[in-house]
Amino acid sequence: MMKTGGNSLTHLWRSVWSICWKDIKIYYAKGPIVVTGVLFPLFLWAAFYMGRGLEFKEGLASLITLTVFFTSSSVTPIIAPWETRQRTLEMLLSRPVTVTTILAGDILASTIFGLIFTSPIVISGVILGIVPNNVLLAVAVIVLIAAGFSSLGVLFSALPTDTPADVVLLSSAVKLPLIFISGVLTPLAQLPPWLLVISVASPLTYFTDLLRWLYASGAFFPAVTDLVATVVFTSAFTAGALKLHKKTLSARLQRR
Amino acid sequence: MNAVEAVDLYKKFGDVVAVNGVSLKVDEGEIFGFLGPNGAGKTTTIRMLTGILRPDRGEARIMGYDVYREPVKARMSLGVVPEEANPYPDLSAWDNLTLVGRLYGLPRRTVEERALSLLTLLGLNDARGRKAKNLSKGMRQKLLVAMALIGEPKVLFLDEPTAGLDVLSARKIRSLILDLRKKGVTILLTTHNVEEAGSLCDRIAIINNGRIVETGSPDDLRIKSELYTYVSVTFDREVEEDAKQFFNAWEHRIQNSRLLIICREPAAPIVKVVEYAKVKGLNIVDIHTSPPSFEEIFVKVIGG
Repeated sequence: MMKTGGNSLTHLWRSVWSICWKDIKIYYAKGPIVVTGVLFPLFLWAAFYMGRGLEFKEGLASLITLTVFFTSSSVTPIIAPWETRQRTLEMLLSRPVTVTTILAGDILASTIFGLIFTSPIVISGVILGIVPNNVLLAVAVIVLIAAGFSSLGVLFSALPTDTPADVVLLSSAVKLPLIFISGVLTPLAQLPPWLLVISVASPLTYFTDLLRWLYASGAFFPAVTDLVATVVFTSAFTAGALKLHKKTLSARLQRR
Repeated sequence: MNAVEAVDLYKKFGDVVAVNGVSLKVDEGEIFGFLGPNGAGKTTTIRMLTGILRPDRGEARIMGYDVYREPVKARMSLGVVPEEANPYPDLSAWDNLTLVGRLYGLPRRTVEERALSLLTLLGLNDARGRKAKNLSKGMRQKLLVAMALIGEPKVLFLDEPTAGLDVLSARKIRSLILDLRKKGVTILLTTHNVEEAGSLCDRIAIINNGRIVETGSPDDLRIKSELYTYVSVTFDREVEEDAKQFFNAWEHRIQNSRLLIICREPAAPIVKVVEYAKVKGLNIVDIHTSPPSFEEIFVKVIGG
Protein backbone atom coordinates (compact mmCIF):
# COMPACT_ATOMS: atom_id res chain seq x y z
CA MET A 1 0.00 0.00 0.00
CA MET A 2 0.92 3.64 0.17
CA LYS A 3 4.38 4.19 1.60
CA THR A 4 4.71 7.71 2.97
CA GLY A 5 7.07 9.86 4.88
CA GLY A 6 6.29 8.25 8.23
CA ASN A 7 5.13 11.29 10.13
CA SER A 8 4.02 14.77 9.30
CA LEU A 9 7.28 16.42 10.42
CA THR A 10 9.36 14.20 8.14
CA HIS A 11 6.91 14.88 5.33
CA LEU A 12 7.05 18.62 6.01
CA TRP A 13 10.85 18.67 5.98
CA ARG A 14 11.08 16.60 2.79
CA SER A 15 8.61 18.91 1.07
CA VAL A 16 10.33 22.12 2.18
CA TRP A 17 13.75 20.77 1.20
CA SER A 18 12.48 19.57 -2.20
CA ILE A 19 11.06 22.98 -3.02
CA CYS A 20 14.29 24.62 -1.84
CA TRP A 21 16.32 22.25 -4.03
CA LYS A 22 14.04 22.98 -7.00
CA ASP A 23 14.50 26.73 -6.53
CA ILE A 24 18.29 26.44 -6.28
CA LYS A 25 18.43 24.32 -9.42
CA ILE A 26 16.08 26.49 -11.47
CA TYR A 27 16.67 30.03 -10.23
CA TYR A 28 19.90 30.36 -8.26
CA ALA A 29 22.44 28.20 -10.05
CA LYS A 30 22.60 30.67 -12.94
CA GLY A 31 25.60 32.73 -14.02
CA PRO A 32 23.88 36.14 -14.21
CA ILE A 33 22.28 35.73 -10.77
CA VAL A 34 25.65 34.80 -9.26
CA VAL A 35 27.41 37.75 -10.88
CA THR A 36 24.67 40.19 -9.78
CA GLY A 37 24.77 38.75 -6.26
CA VAL A 38 28.50 39.46 -5.98
CA LEU A 39 29.00 42.61 -8.00
CA PHE A 40 26.03 44.83 -7.22
CA PRO A 41 26.43 45.09 -3.43
CA LEU A 42 30.21 45.26 -3.79
CA PHE A 43 30.10 48.19 -6.23
CA LEU A 44 27.44 50.03 -4.25
CA TRP A 45 29.46 49.61 -1.07
CA ALA A 46 32.72 50.59 -2.76
CA ALA A 47 31.11 53.72 -4.24
CA PHE A 48 30.27 54.98 -0.76
CA TYR A 49 33.24 53.77 1.28
CA MET A 50 36.23 54.03 -1.04
CA GLY A 51 37.97 57.32 -0.94
CA ARG A 52 36.45 58.29 2.42
CA GLY A 53 39.49 57.10 4.26
CA LEU A 54 37.49 54.61 6.32
CA GLU A 55 38.98 51.37 7.57
CA PHE A 56 37.66 48.07 6.21
CA LYS A 57 36.48 47.23 9.75
CA GLU A 58 34.14 50.22 9.74
CA GLY A 59 32.55 49.28 6.45
CA LEU A 60 32.39 45.52 6.97
CA ALA A 61 28.99 45.58 8.69
CA SER A 62 27.56 47.60 5.79
CA LEU A 63 29.07 45.29 3.17
CA ILE A 64 27.63 42.25 4.93
CA THR A 65 24.18 43.89 5.21
CA LEU A 66 24.18 44.96 1.55
CA THR A 67 25.31 41.54 0.36
CA VAL A 68 22.73 39.68 2.43
CA PHE A 69 20.06 42.20 1.40
CA PHE A 70 20.69 42.01 -2.34
CA THR A 71 21.28 38.27 -2.57
CA SER A 72 18.49 37.13 -0.24
CA SER A 73 15.84 39.38 -1.71
CA SER A 74 16.89 39.17 -5.36
CA VAL A 75 15.09 36.06 -6.66
CA THR A 76 12.22 35.42 -4.23
CA PRO A 77 10.06 38.25 -5.65
CA ILE A 78 9.89 36.66 -9.09
CA ILE A 79 9.32 32.98 -8.23
CA ALA A 80 5.54 33.12 -7.67
CA PRO A 81 4.69 35.31 -10.69
CA TRP A 82 7.07 33.31 -12.88
CA GLU A 83 5.60 30.00 -11.79
CA THR A 84 2.08 31.36 -12.28
CA ARG A 85 3.01 32.22 -15.86
CA GLN A 86 4.75 28.89 -16.45
CA ARG A 87 1.72 27.06 -14.99
CA THR A 88 3.96 25.16 -12.61
CA LEU A 89 2.49 26.75 -9.47
CA GLU A 90 -0.83 24.97 -9.96
CA MET A 91 1.01 21.71 -10.51
CA LEU A 92 2.78 22.24 -7.18
CA LEU A 93 -0.35 23.32 -5.33
CA SER A 94 -2.22 20.18 -6.33
CA ARG A 95 0.30 18.03 -4.39
CA PRO A 96 0.12 17.33 -0.64
CA VAL A 97 1.74 20.62 0.35
CA THR A 98 0.37 23.88 1.69
CA VAL A 99 1.11 27.44 0.59
CA THR A 100 3.14 27.78 3.82
CA THR A 101 5.33 24.80 2.87
CA ILE A 102 5.97 26.21 -0.60
CA LEU A 103 6.92 29.63 0.78
CA ALA A 104 9.11 28.03 3.46
CA GLY A 105 11.01 26.22 0.68
CA ASP A 106 11.40 29.49 -1.25
CA ILE A 107 12.65 31.32 1.86
CA LEU A 108 15.08 28.52 2.73
CA ALA A 109 16.60 28.53 -0.78
CA SER A 110 16.98 32.28 -0.73
CA THR A 111 18.49 32.24 2.77
CA ILE A 112 21.05 29.64 1.69
CA PHE A 113 21.86 31.72 -1.40
CA GLY A 114 22.38 34.82 0.75
CA LEU A 115 24.59 32.94 3.21
CA ILE A 116 26.74 31.45 0.45
CA PHE A 117 27.62 34.95 -0.78
CA THR A 118 28.01 36.47 2.65
CA SER A 119 30.30 33.79 4.04
CA PRO A 120 33.40 34.79 1.96
CA ILE A 121 33.07 38.39 3.22
CA VAL A 122 32.84 37.27 6.85
CA ILE A 123 35.75 34.87 6.31
CA SER A 124 37.81 37.62 4.62
CA GLY A 125 37.25 39.72 7.74
CA VAL A 126 38.47 36.88 9.94
CA ILE A 127 41.60 36.50 7.76
CA LEU A 128 42.24 40.24 8.20
CA GLY A 129 41.80 39.85 11.95
CA ILE A 130 38.32 41.41 12.08
CA VAL A 131 36.40 38.93 14.21
CA PRO A 132 32.97 39.58 15.73
CA ASN A 133 32.95 39.82 19.51
CA ASN A 134 30.44 36.95 19.68
CA VAL A 135 30.87 34.58 16.73
CA LEU A 136 27.82 32.42 17.45
CA LEU A 137 25.56 35.43 17.83
CA ALA A 138 27.02 36.94 14.64
CA VAL A 139 26.24 33.75 12.71
CA ALA A 140 22.73 33.59 14.19
CA VAL A 141 22.10 37.25 13.35
CA ILE A 142 23.32 36.88 9.76
CA VAL A 143 21.10 33.79 9.29
CA LEU A 144 18.17 35.71 10.79
CA ILE A 145 18.80 38.71 8.55
CA ALA A 146 19.08 36.47 5.46
CA ALA A 147 15.76 34.80 6.36
CA GLY A 148 14.19 38.21 6.98
CA PHE A 149 15.24 39.63 3.61
CA SER A 150 14.18 36.41 1.87
CA SER A 151 10.75 36.83 3.46
CA LEU A 152 10.67 40.44 2.31
CA GLY A 153 11.22 39.21 -1.26
CA VAL A 154 8.43 36.66 -0.84
CA LEU A 155 6.21 39.43 0.52
CA PHE A 156 6.65 41.40 -2.73
CA SER A 157 5.75 38.33 -4.76
CA ALA A 158 2.29 38.20 -3.13
CA LEU A 159 1.24 40.73 -5.76
CA PRO A 160 -1.23 38.59 -7.77
CA THR A 161 0.41 38.91 -11.15
CA ASP A 162 1.99 36.56 -13.65
CA THR A 163 4.38 39.23 -14.88
CA PRO A 164 7.70 39.15 -12.98
CA ALA A 165 8.54 42.71 -14.14
CA ASP A 166 5.58 44.06 -12.10
CA VAL A 167 7.08 42.64 -8.93
CA VAL A 168 10.65 43.65 -9.79
CA LEU A 169 9.43 47.24 -10.22
CA LEU A 170 7.64 47.15 -6.87
CA SER A 171 10.56 45.57 -5.04
CA SER A 172 13.07 48.06 -6.48
CA ALA A 173 10.78 50.95 -5.54
CA VAL A 174 10.81 49.75 -1.92
CA LYS A 175 14.30 48.24 -1.58
CA LEU A 176 16.41 51.15 -2.82
CA PRO A 177 14.80 53.77 -0.52
CA LEU A 178 15.20 51.31 2.38
CA ILE A 179 18.96 51.42 1.75
CA PHE A 180 19.24 55.17 1.40
CA ILE A 181 17.21 56.04 4.50
CA SER A 182 19.11 53.54 6.66
CA GLY A 183 22.53 53.84 8.19
CA VAL A 184 24.05 51.31 5.81
CA LEU A 185 25.96 53.74 3.64
CA THR A 186 26.47 56.48 6.23
CA PRO A 187 26.84 55.69 9.94
CA LEU A 188 23.75 56.71 11.92
CA ALA A 189 25.77 59.11 14.11
CA GLN A 190 26.62 61.13 11.00
CA LEU A 191 23.03 61.40 9.73
CA PRO A 192 21.16 64.70 10.08
CA PRO A 193 18.38 64.52 12.73
CA TRP A 194 15.52 64.49 10.19
CA LEU A 195 17.04 61.52 8.34
CA LEU A 196 17.75 59.77 11.61
CA VAL A 197 14.02 59.93 12.40
CA ILE A 198 13.18 58.40 9.01
CA SER A 199 15.91 55.78 9.30
CA VAL A 200 14.14 54.00 12.16
CA ALA A 201 11.56 52.83 9.62
CA SER A 202 14.15 50.81 7.69
CA PRO A 203 14.96 47.29 8.87
CA LEU A 204 18.45 47.72 7.44
CA THR A 205 19.15 50.36 10.09
CA TYR A 206 18.93 47.80 12.90
CA PHE A 207 20.57 44.97 11.00
CA THR A 208 23.62 47.12 10.19
CA ASP A 209 23.73 48.63 13.67
CA LEU A 210 23.64 45.19 15.25
CA LEU A 211 26.49 44.03 13.03
CA ARG A 212 28.43 47.20 13.92
CA TRP A 213 27.99 46.31 17.58
CA LEU A 214 29.19 42.77 16.89
CA TYR A 215 32.24 44.12 15.04
CA ALA A 216 32.78 46.86 17.68
CA SER A 217 32.73 49.53 15.01
CA GLY A 218 30.41 52.10 16.51
CA ALA A 219 26.82 50.99 17.14
CA PHE A 220 24.23 53.72 17.59
CA PHE A 221 21.37 51.91 19.36
CA PRO A 222 21.69 49.46 22.26
CA ALA A 223 22.28 45.90 20.96
CA VAL A 224 19.04 44.66 22.54
CA THR A 225 17.03 47.27 20.61
CA ASP A 226 18.68 46.20 17.36
CA LEU A 227 18.14 42.53 18.11
CA VAL A 228 14.47 42.97 19.03
CA ALA A 229 13.87 45.13 15.92
CA THR A 230 15.61 42.52 13.75
CA VAL A 231 13.44 39.73 15.15
CA VAL A 232 10.27 41.86 14.81
CA PHE A 233 10.99 42.85 11.19
CA THR A 234 11.88 39.25 10.22
CA SER A 235 8.74 37.90 11.89
CA ALA A 236 6.57 40.62 10.34
CA PHE A 237 7.94 39.96 6.83
CA THR A 238 7.41 36.21 7.20
CA ALA A 239 3.92 36.48 8.68
CA GLY A 240 2.95 39.17 6.17
CA ALA A 241 4.20 37.08 3.25
CA LEU A 242 2.22 34.02 4.36
CA LYS A 243 -0.96 35.97 4.99
CA LEU A 244 -0.84 37.95 1.76
CA HIS A 245 -0.02 34.91 -0.40
CA LYS A 246 -2.98 32.99 1.04
CA LYS A 247 -5.18 36.01 0.42
CA THR A 248 -4.08 36.60 -3.18
CA LEU A 249 -3.83 32.97 -4.32
CA SER A 250 -7.30 32.85 -5.84
CA ALA A 251 -6.71 36.06 -7.83
CA ARG A 252 -3.30 34.74 -8.91
CA LEU A 253 -4.72 31.51 -10.29
CA GLN A 254 -7.30 33.47 -12.24
CA ARG A 255 -4.42 35.08 -14.13
CA ARG A 256 -3.97 31.84 -16.04
CA MET B 1 -17.39 5.78 1.86
CA ASN B 2 -17.34 7.97 -1.24
CA ALA B 3 -13.88 8.49 -2.69
CA VAL B 4 -14.86 12.00 -3.79
CA GLU B 5 -17.72 14.02 -2.43
CA ALA B 6 -18.75 17.58 -3.21
CA VAL B 7 -21.67 19.27 -1.54
CA ASP B 8 -23.16 22.47 -2.95
CA LEU B 9 -19.92 23.99 -4.25
CA TYR B 10 -20.39 27.63 -5.22
CA LYS B 11 -17.80 30.03 -6.59
CA LYS B 12 -18.19 33.53 -7.94
CA PHE B 13 -15.49 35.62 -9.67
CA GLY B 14 -16.57 39.25 -9.62
CA ASP B 15 -20.09 39.22 -11.02
CA VAL B 16 -19.67 35.89 -12.77
CA VAL B 17 -20.94 32.74 -11.06
CA ALA B 18 -18.45 30.10 -12.22
CA VAL B 19 -19.84 27.18 -10.22
CA ASN B 20 -23.37 27.24 -8.90
CA GLY B 21 -24.19 24.58 -6.31
CA VAL B 22 -22.33 21.56 -7.70
CA SER B 23 -22.80 18.35 -5.71
CA LEU B 24 -21.44 14.98 -6.71
CA LYS B 25 -20.41 11.65 -5.22
CA VAL B 26 -17.86 9.30 -6.76
CA ASP B 27 -17.70 5.74 -5.44
CA GLU B 28 -14.41 3.99 -4.75
CA GLY B 29 -13.03 2.22 -7.82
CA GLU B 30 -15.30 4.10 -10.19
CA ILE B 31 -14.34 5.99 -13.35
CA PHE B 32 -16.41 9.12 -13.21
CA GLY B 33 -16.58 11.41 -16.21
CA PHE B 34 -16.97 15.13 -15.77
CA LEU B 35 -17.99 16.75 -19.03
CA GLY B 36 -19.02 20.18 -20.11
CA PRO B 37 -18.42 22.80 -22.77
CA ASN B 38 -15.66 25.42 -22.42
CA GLY B 39 -16.37 27.82 -19.56
CA ALA B 40 -18.97 25.49 -18.00
CA GLY B 41 -17.15 25.41 -14.64
CA LYS B 42 -15.17 22.15 -14.94
CA THR B 43 -11.72 23.53 -14.12
CA THR B 44 -13.03 25.69 -11.27
CA THR B 45 -14.81 22.65 -9.81
CA ILE B 46 -11.66 20.54 -10.10
CA ARG B 47 -9.62 23.32 -8.45
CA MET B 48 -12.11 23.38 -5.58
CA LEU B 49 -12.06 19.59 -5.30
CA THR B 50 -8.26 19.60 -5.06
CA GLY B 51 -8.40 22.37 -2.45
CA ILE B 52 -6.39 24.84 -4.55
CA LEU B 53 -9.36 27.18 -4.68
CA ARG B 54 -11.68 27.81 -1.75
CA PRO B 55 -15.37 27.86 -2.63
CA ASP B 56 -17.56 30.72 -1.44
CA ARG B 57 -19.91 28.02 -0.19
CA GLY B 58 -19.94 24.23 0.04
CA GLU B 59 -17.73 21.36 1.08
CA ALA B 60 -15.50 18.82 -0.61
CA ARG B 61 -13.98 15.57 0.65
CA ILE B 62 -11.38 13.20 -0.75
CA MET B 63 -11.33 9.75 0.90
CA GLY B 64 -13.26 11.27 3.80
CA TYR B 65 -10.82 14.16 4.39
CA ASP B 66 -12.13 17.70 4.12
CA VAL B 67 -9.96 19.28 1.41
CA TYR B 68 -10.05 22.73 3.03
CA ARG B 69 -9.55 21.76 6.67
CA GLU B 70 -7.11 18.88 6.05
CA PRO B 71 -5.67 19.65 2.61
CA VAL B 72 -2.44 17.68 3.03
CA LYS B 73 -4.20 14.51 4.24
CA ALA B 74 -6.77 14.82 1.43
CA ARG B 75 -4.09 15.32 -1.23
CA MET B 76 -1.99 12.42 0.08
CA SER B 77 -4.67 10.17 -1.46
CA LEU B 78 -4.87 12.24 -4.61
CA GLY B 79 -2.97 12.36 -7.87
CA VAL B 80 -3.78 15.15 -10.30
CA VAL B 81 -3.11 15.84 -13.95
CA PRO B 82 -4.34 19.43 -14.07
CA GLU B 83 -5.28 20.80 -17.46
CA GLU B 84 -3.74 24.18 -16.84
CA ALA B 85 -0.40 23.04 -15.46
CA ASN B 86 3.04 22.10 -16.67
CA PRO B 87 6.10 20.31 -15.39
CA TYR B 88 9.05 22.60 -14.60
CA PRO B 89 10.50 23.34 -18.04
CA ASP B 90 14.06 23.75 -16.74
CA LEU B 91 14.08 20.50 -14.79
CA SER B 92 14.63 17.11 -16.40
CA ALA B 93 11.82 14.55 -16.59
CA TRP B 94 13.56 12.64 -13.80
CA ASP B 95 13.93 15.71 -11.57
CA ASN B 96 10.29 16.70 -12.10
CA LEU B 97 9.13 13.23 -11.18
CA THR B 98 11.34 12.82 -8.11
CA LEU B 99 10.45 16.34 -6.93
CA VAL B 100 6.77 15.41 -6.85
CA GLY B 101 7.54 12.07 -5.20
CA ARG B 102 9.35 13.90 -2.39
CA LEU B 103 6.35 16.21 -1.96
CA TYR B 104 4.39 13.09 -0.97
CA GLY B 105 6.93 12.63 1.82
CA LEU B 106 8.35 9.46 0.27
CA PRO B 107 11.89 8.30 1.09
CA ARG B 108 14.43 8.91 -1.68
CA ARG B 109 14.89 5.21 -2.52
CA THR B 110 11.13 4.65 -2.89
CA VAL B 111 10.81 7.75 -5.06
CA GLU B 112 13.61 6.57 -7.36
CA GLU B 113 12.20 3.05 -7.67
CA ARG B 114 8.74 4.35 -8.55
CA ALA B 115 10.10 7.02 -10.90
CA LEU B 116 12.08 4.41 -12.84
CA SER B 117 9.11 2.07 -13.05
CA LEU B 118 6.72 4.83 -14.22
CA LEU B 119 9.14 6.20 -16.82
CA THR B 120 9.55 2.68 -18.18
CA LEU B 121 5.80 2.02 -18.17
CA LEU B 122 5.11 5.22 -20.09
CA GLY B 123 8.02 4.83 -22.50
CA LEU B 124 9.90 7.85 -21.19
CA ASN B 125 12.96 6.18 -19.76
CA ASP B 126 15.22 7.21 -22.64
CA ALA B 127 14.14 10.83 -22.17
CA ARG B 128 14.58 10.90 -18.39
CA GLY B 129 17.57 13.26 -18.55
CA ARG B 130 15.94 15.69 -21.00
CA LYS B 131 14.61 18.97 -19.71
CA ALA B 132 10.81 19.12 -19.80
CA LYS B 133 10.93 22.06 -22.18
CA ASN B 134 12.69 19.85 -24.72
CA LEU B 135 10.09 17.08 -24.57
CA SER B 136 7.34 16.78 -27.17
CA LYS B 137 3.78 17.67 -26.12
CA GLY B 138 2.86 14.02 -25.87
CA MET B 139 5.91 13.21 -23.76
CA ARG B 140 5.17 16.14 -21.46
CA GLN B 141 1.62 14.91 -21.04
CA LYS B 142 2.87 11.43 -20.18
CA LEU B 143 5.30 12.99 -17.70
CA LEU B 144 2.36 14.78 -16.03
CA VAL B 145 0.54 11.45 -15.79
CA ALA B 146 3.65 9.87 -14.23
CA MET B 147 3.85 12.79 -11.77
CA ALA B 148 0.23 12.16 -10.79
CA LEU B 149 0.90 8.47 -10.21
CA ILE B 150 4.14 8.60 -8.23
CA GLY B 151 2.33 8.97 -4.91
CA GLU B 152 0.32 5.79 -5.73
CA PRO B 153 -2.93 7.70 -5.19
CA LYS B 154 -6.27 6.13 -4.33
CA VAL B 155 -8.01 8.89 -6.28
CA LEU B 156 -6.85 10.29 -9.58
CA PHE B 157 -8.09 13.49 -11.24
CA LEU B 158 -7.31 13.50 -14.93
CA ASP B 159 -8.07 16.75 -16.69
CA GLU B 160 -7.80 16.17 -20.45
CA PRO B 161 -5.24 13.36 -20.11
CA THR B 162 -5.22 12.48 -23.81
CA ALA B 163 -5.43 16.00 -25.23
CA GLY B 164 -2.85 16.51 -27.95
CA LEU B 165 -1.62 12.92 -27.85
CA ASP B 166 -1.16 10.79 -30.93
CA VAL B 167 -3.44 7.77 -31.35
CA LEU B 168 -1.00 5.26 -29.87
CA SER B 169 -0.15 7.39 -26.84
CA ALA B 170 -3.83 8.14 -26.22
CA ARG B 171 -4.60 4.41 -26.36
CA LYS B 172 -1.79 3.74 -23.90
CA ILE B 173 -3.22 6.28 -21.47
CA ARG B 174 -6.74 4.85 -21.86
CA SER B 175 -5.42 1.37 -21.23
CA LEU B 176 -3.56 2.66 -18.17
CA ILE B 177 -6.79 4.23 -16.86
CA LEU B 178 -8.57 0.89 -17.14
CA ASP B 179 -5.67 -0.92 -15.44
CA LEU B 180 -5.76 1.57 -12.58
CA ARG B 181 -9.49 1.01 -12.16
CA LYS B 182 -8.81 -2.73 -11.90
CA LYS B 183 -6.40 -1.92 -9.06
CA GLY B 184 -9.20 -0.06 -7.26
CA VAL B 185 -8.11 3.49 -8.09
CA THR B 186 -11.00 5.96 -8.33
CA ILE B 187 -10.72 8.17 -11.39
CA LEU B 188 -12.38 11.49 -12.07
CA LEU B 189 -11.93 12.14 -15.76
CA THR B 190 -12.49 15.48 -17.41
CA THR B 191 -12.32 15.45 -21.16
CA HIS B 192 -13.60 17.16 -24.27
CA ASN B 193 -13.48 13.80 -26.00
CA VAL B 194 -17.03 12.75 -25.17
CA GLU B 195 -16.76 9.43 -27.00
CA GLU B 196 -13.74 8.60 -24.83
CA ALA B 197 -15.78 9.44 -21.72
CA GLY B 198 -18.69 7.35 -22.98
CA SER B 199 -16.48 4.32 -23.49
CA LEU B 200 -14.34 4.60 -20.33
CA CYS B 201 -16.64 5.93 -17.63
CA ASP B 202 -18.95 4.07 -15.29
CA ARG B 203 -20.89 7.25 -14.65
CA ILE B 204 -20.85 10.71 -16.14
CA ALA B 205 -21.88 14.15 -14.90
CA ILE B 206 -22.47 16.90 -17.42
CA ILE B 207 -21.96 20.46 -16.25
CA ASN B 208 -23.23 23.56 -18.03
CA ASN B 209 -23.31 27.18 -16.86
CA GLY B 210 -21.88 26.14 -13.50
CA ARG B 211 -24.59 23.57 -12.75
CA ILE B 212 -24.69 19.80 -13.14
CA VAL B 213 -27.45 19.23 -15.65
CA GLU B 214 -27.32 15.43 -15.92
CA THR B 215 -25.70 12.50 -14.10
CA GLY B 216 -25.85 8.80 -14.83
CA SER B 217 -24.22 5.84 -16.52
CA PRO B 218 -23.61 6.19 -20.27
CA ASP B 219 -26.61 3.91 -20.86
CA ASP B 220 -28.81 5.98 -18.52
CA LEU B 221 -27.83 9.11 -20.37
CA ARG B 222 -28.62 7.47 -23.71
CA ILE B 223 -32.09 6.55 -22.50
CA LYS B 224 -32.69 9.91 -20.83
CA SER B 225 -31.58 11.74 -23.95
CA GLU B 226 -34.50 10.15 -25.89
CA LEU B 227 -32.34 10.07 -28.98
CA TYR B 228 -32.95 7.38 -31.59
CA THR B 229 -31.22 4.05 -32.04
CA TYR B 230 -30.90 2.55 -35.52
CA VAL B 231 -31.62 -1.17 -36.04
CA SER B 232 -30.16 -2.27 -39.35
CA VAL B 233 -31.12 -5.70 -40.80
CA THR B 234 -29.99 -7.50 -43.95
CA PHE B 235 -32.02 -10.49 -45.16
CA ASP B 236 -30.96 -13.13 -47.71
CA ARG B 237 -33.69 -11.99 -50.13
CA GLU B 238 -35.46 -8.79 -51.07
CA VAL B 239 -37.97 -7.52 -48.56
CA GLU B 240 -41.57 -7.49 -49.83
CA GLU B 241 -43.83 -4.43 -49.91
CA ASP B 242 -46.07 -5.74 -47.06
CA ALA B 243 -43.20 -5.28 -44.58
CA LYS B 244 -44.22 -1.65 -44.33
CA GLN B 245 -47.39 -2.68 -42.48
CA PHE B 246 -45.50 -5.16 -40.31
CA PHE B 247 -43.12 -2.47 -39.03
CA ASN B 248 -45.46 0.50 -39.07
CA ALA B 249 -45.08 1.04 -35.30
CA TRP B 250 -41.68 2.59 -36.02
CA GLU B 251 -40.20 4.88 -38.57
CA HIS B 252 -38.41 2.59 -41.04
CA ARG B 253 -36.92 2.35 -44.52
CA ILE B 254 -36.72 -0.58 -46.90
CA GLN B 255 -34.21 -0.92 -49.68
CA ASN B 256 -33.93 -4.26 -51.50
CA SER B 257 -32.89 -6.82 -48.88
CA ARG B 258 -32.15 -4.21 -46.22
CA LEU B 259 -34.41 -2.84 -43.51
CA LEU B 260 -33.61 0.15 -41.29
CA ILE B 261 -35.74 0.79 -38.19
CA ILE B 262 -35.43 4.03 -36.20
CA CYS B 263 -36.52 3.59 -32.61
CA ARG B 264 -35.83 4.68 -29.05
CA GLU B 265 -35.52 1.17 -27.60
CA PRO B 266 -34.23 -1.61 -29.92
CA ALA B 267 -35.53 -4.71 -28.10
CA ALA B 268 -39.13 -4.68 -29.45
CA PRO B 269 -38.22 -4.08 -33.11
CA ILE B 270 -35.60 -6.85 -32.99
CA VAL B 271 -38.25 -9.32 -31.75
CA LYS B 272 -40.51 -8.15 -34.58
CA VAL B 273 -37.70 -8.61 -37.15
CA VAL B 274 -37.18 -12.21 -36.01
CA GLU B 275 -40.95 -12.82 -36.19
CA TYR B 276 -41.12 -11.32 -39.69
CA ALA B 277 -38.24 -13.49 -40.91
CA LYS B 278 -39.99 -16.60 -39.58
CA VAL B 279 -43.33 -15.72 -41.22
CA LYS B 280 -41.70 -14.89 -44.56
CA GLY B 281 -39.14 -17.71 -44.49
CA LEU B 282 -36.24 -15.25 -44.70
CA ASN B 283 -32.81 -15.72 -43.24
CA ILE B 284 -31.19 -12.84 -41.36
CA VAL B 285 -27.71 -12.30 -42.83
CA ASP B 286 -26.80 -9.40 -40.56
CA ILE B 287 -28.44 -7.42 -37.78
CA HIS B 288 -26.91 -4.66 -35.72
CA THR B 289 -27.90 -1.65 -33.69
CA SER B 290 -26.33 1.81 -33.73
CA PRO B 291 -27.09 3.69 -30.55
CA PRO B 292 -26.82 7.48 -30.65
CA SER B 293 -23.24 8.69 -30.39
CA PHE B 294 -22.18 10.14 -27.10
CA GLU B 295 -21.47 13.37 -28.84
CA GLU B 296 -25.15 13.57 -29.88
CA ILE B 297 -26.23 12.86 -26.32
CA PHE B 298 -23.85 15.52 -24.96
CA VAL B 299 -25.07 18.15 -27.39
CA LYS B 300 -28.69 17.35 -26.56
CA VAL B 301 -28.08 17.53 -22.77
CA ILE B 302 -26.32 20.89 -22.88
CA GLY B 303 -29.00 22.21 -25.21
CA GLY B 304 -26.70 22.77 -28.18
